[in-house]
Amino acid sequence: MIRAPLVKALSALGSPTHQIASRAVRTSAIVAQTPAKAPEKIEVFVDDIPVQVLPGTTVLQAAALVGVEIPRFCYHERLAVAGNCRMCLVEVEKSPKPVAACAMPVMKGWRIKTNSDLTRKAREGVMEFLLMNHPLDCPICDQGGECDLQDQAMAFGSDRSRFTDIHYTGKRAVEDKDIGPLVKTIMTRCIHCTRCVRFASEIAGVDDLGTTGRGNDMQIGTYVEKLFLTELSGNVIDLCPVGALTNKPYSFVARPWEIRKVSSIDVLDAVGSNIVVSTRTNEVLRILPRENEDVNEEWLADKSRFACDGLKRQRLIAPMVRMPNGELQAVEWEGALIAVAKALKKANGQVAGVAGQLADVEAMVALKDLINRLEGETVVTEQGFIKGSGTDVRANYLLNSTIAGLEEADAVLLVGTNPRYEAPLVNTRLRKAYVHNELQIASIGPKVDLSYEHDNLGSDPALIKDVCSGSHAFSKVLEGAKKPAIIIGADLLEREDGAAIHATIVEYCQKLKKPEWNPFNVLQNNAAQVGAYDVGYQAGADRAIKAQPKVLFLLNADAGKVTREQLPKDCFVVYIGSHGDNGASIADAVLPGAAYTEKQAIYVNTEGRPQQTLPGVSPPGMAREDWKILRAISEVVGTPLPYDTLDELRSRLEDISPHLTRLGELEPAGFNETGAQAAISKSISGVAIDVKQKELKDYFMTDAISRASPTMAKCISAVNKQQRQDEQSKQSVAI
Amino acid sequence: MLRSAILSKTVPKCLQIATQNSNALSVVPGFFVRQQQTLPVVDPSQTLEKKGYSPFGTKQASVAEWSLARLDDLLNWGRKGSIWPLTFGLACCAVEMMHIAAPRYDMDRYGVVFRASPRQADVIIVAGTLTNKMAPALRKVYDQMPEPRWVISMGSCANGGGYYHYSYSVVRGCDRIIPVDIYVPGCPPTAEALMYGVLQLQKKVKRMKTLQMWYRK
Amino acid sequence: MAKFLGLNRLTKLFQIIQECGGLKQTYLKLYRNDDLKIGTLVGIDKYGNKYFENPFYFYGRNRWVEFTPHVNMDYDGSQIPADWYGWMHYKTDLPPIRDGSRPKYKWLADHSENLSGTKEAYMPYTTTPPKVEAWDPSAKKQ
Repeated sequence: MIRAPLVKALSALGSPTHQIASRAVRTSAIVAQTPAKAPEKIEVFVDDIPVQVLPGTTVLQAAALVGVEIPRFCYHERLAVAGNCRMCLVEVEKSPKPVAACAMPVMKGWRIKTNSDLTRKAREGVMEFLLMNHPLDCPICDQGGECDLQDQAMAFGSDRSRFTDIHYTGKRAVEDKDIGPLVKTIMTRCIHCTRCVRFASEIAGVDDLGTTGRGNDMQIGTYVEKLFLTELSGNVIDLCPVGALTNKPYSFVARPWEIRKVSSIDVLDAVGSNIVVSTRTNEVLRILPRENEDVNEEWLADKSRFACDGLKRQRLIAPMVRMPNGELQAVEWEGALIAVAKALKKANGQVAGVAGQLADVEAMVALKDLINRLEGETVVTEQGFIKGSGTDVRANYLLNSTIAGLEEADAVLLVGTNPRYEAPLVNTRLRKAYVHNELQIASIGPKVDLSYEHDNLGSDPALIKDVCSGSHAFSKVLEGAKKPAIIIGADLLEREDGAAIHATIVEYCQKLKKPEWNPFNVLQNNAAQVGAYDVGYQAGADRAIKAQPKVLFLLNADAGKVTREQLPKDCFVVYIGSHGDNGASIADAVLPGAAYTEKQAIYVNTEGRPQQTLPGVSPPGMAREDWKILRAISEVVGTPLPYDTLDELRSRLEDISPHLTRLGELEPAGFNETGAQAAISKSISGVAIDVKQKELKDYFMTDAISRASPTMAKCISAVNKQQRQDEQSKQSVAI
Repeated sequence: MLRSAILSKTVPKCLQIATQNSNALSVVPGFFVRQQQTLPVVDPSQTLEKKGYSPFGTKQASVAEWSLARLDDLLNWGRKGSIWPLTFGLACCAVEMMHIAAPRYDMDRYGVVFRASPRQADVIIVAGTLTNKMAPALRKVYDQMPEPRWVISMGSCANGGGYYHYSYSVVRGCDRIIPVDIYVPGCPPTAEALMYGVLQLQKKVKRMKTLQMWYRK
Repeated sequence: MAKFLGLNRLTKLFQIIQECGGLKQTYLKLYRNDDLKIGTLVGIDKYGNKYFENPFYFYGRNRWVEFTPHVNMDYDGSQIPADWYGWMHYKTDLPPIRDGSRPKYKWLADHSENLSGTKEAYMPYTTTPPKVEAWDPSAKKQ
């Protein structure tokens, strides 16, 4: 693991020999890590408790096995061992000095003492050194209350100070750095654990952070003045054990003990990251990741973390109806519902519904039931998919290898997708497999920086046929792999020839299939998408437009794929959603719904895992939960939907598809299901394959919430600024 | 205390007018006239009509309504003549609250007698800073009072947190816990101001429409 | 001896009844003001309130007001106008009618009483910004 930067450095030199060399280094690293034979367990004693561990286990891990927690700052389970904070010093019998538990592998028969006088004294000494150069500014520090240094100083530090330099002559002070609009730095507080450096180079794959100087002059920084811009930068805030890296939008907002925490699900991408929503006085203050090994490990992408201030802007807080003069005007619920009901009665069954990227499963089911009761049939998602009946088979639209499963893959082909920005936490899995598992990655599509090395085969769609027919060089890699995977971007399947691409790849995947391993993957980029297909929505807003409805429901549909011009003149558009965006501005009636932090709702992520959000705050103003709005409309129209409570609605969900209410459990698609599309013509057009999000600045604003977020706007301008600077410096070098 | 209230109402209004029409500034005399009801000036040549006792008037639509209005008058007369407050002294305001019981202000003459039990009290005088820790106790005491019950919030702290508004441990106004009828401003308000508050409460009690509302339902 | 028997108080009472103009008037005054006092009429303001003073009573009770008759029982301390307020509260011993140095500007507005409980009651407006910014459909898209 620690060799990863070295590998990069070598490969960066670029010549083929170096590439071979780098692969060799990586291979040897793996070989060195894996025990050669069946591992023989060795016995060690932690505080006289015997424990059997594998050779190579560190002292710290051995102690964790018996439930003894050794204090640490620099050690982190998901990062390489650095061993530079020395907080984990413990005494080992017959060892002349205390050993650093995080870096020292145990030897047979060691007696480790985690609470002896020597250990305690060592910790106290380390703590004293750390605190000597740490400012005493806890009262104005944002980390206060959730600070590892604070907690451990209480638990393991000395009860009095020997610090006599009251004139602050020798106390270390470091200038703060500007590393972007998301992470605030107060570098004087840094204790040089290098967790952020390791995270950046190992997980995020950007070698921007590093240390300069040594001893007392050591500093964490970006070498040259630049911004730390990656889609995962927020995670260094969580990693930082002190208040050196803090959340910039959240700075000086709240203390951890004032906050209420609600476990929820992120919906800004299709990964379905588990989050904790921190609220106070009915306001979402910040969002933190929650550990879930199967989905997001303990990371969170920046959009999910920082776009929460978009929940407070551009909100719909009152129902609105378009007046004869063409202006939307706020009205009472009663008036709005009656207006919608009147239009529905006039429509005579010509009703259609479009679900957008943030729609929850409950609301989608309610909308579908309502429209079916009104004798309408068209319920579609805004995002398109292959033409025909591709959504009937579940495996056709899921990430079948599963997010956690991708870690084990050893050959991956990306077709028309940029997972780095479409699903950053899927990309970290791929990167993890690349670093640890010798994963070979190739991509068909435009050249993008995926934060790891990959072969870009080109963006010619004919390549798909080449690879799938086995004539391409990469086909050999895929066919030779134990766990190959092909990941298709959801946007690619929206194309006219999407069905052909889909069918070609499905057919090839039948060949690549292994027992217990389905190589066919579609990477969705909307949280609502899989749920919509699961409850029987069809794909593509164009179907709704083709139906030329009299009443069109837009459920959170804000991508702008439905425009006023495409609809008949007398079409009455009803928008249900939380933000005033593309959807609301074309609507004749706007019904304010709840955002994902304000409702209990199910979302199904790209691998088909249903998870639910929980309300942290109440919807603003007159806004209500989306399904309740639809239930109310049905009452006014005169065909009340048969559910009054969320529980009743959930049992309706269960009738439609039982897996939807088994929250958190992954329901894999049937193994042999893929590919029932024989009749589709397989002619792929020559239009070059493209992805929407190519660069970091395309990543930040992709939906109504992030478009409303001022922080995301700041991020984009920061990226642009950095780009300009880079160009300038390049020019000056050229001169 | 009245003055500040009156002025602060007019100032934003004036500004509003000023922003709407900058020409208005040229007509200064008319511009700065307060848009508020003033006392009628007594003209010796013609006497003003005397106000009746009842705030409901005597011109009810039916006999039943008239008689209920009179009954309400009687009920209110009884209630306002014996407003028994529950002491809820929390801080320095409590000292001023004690003063109204002392001979100089002598609240007994209005039938205002401090009670030590919420079950015998009509009004609770929240006198002082309401802390987070005290808030549940206040609510509990308020809940124990029999209907009809009133609340006088005394002093800046009880009105809106006052000096301690930004403290981590203070409720920003007791109206977050219980419904307040009379706010007495001041830090602390003089005993006279509190007395005035009690008299305002009497006026409010006089306007109560207990039976008329019951009849209307 | 007369003092001992309280006869002087009786004398005072008769004096008051006499000044009020009969038993009925005395009763009405007592009913309205909850008090019976006699003193010199210091002045009448333009709203019809009468101000009295009698140094016989102790400080704090030696100045009082009889509110203008038309308000009947709805009198209120805030009906005393600003110019008499100072005298009533012992800020000055010179009542406004005898104080020549008081400015008399044309723009001085009429006094208004405390309007709490009426439609014109003072209502404070909120000074905190709303937590959630609402969407304005007429605003231009950026």
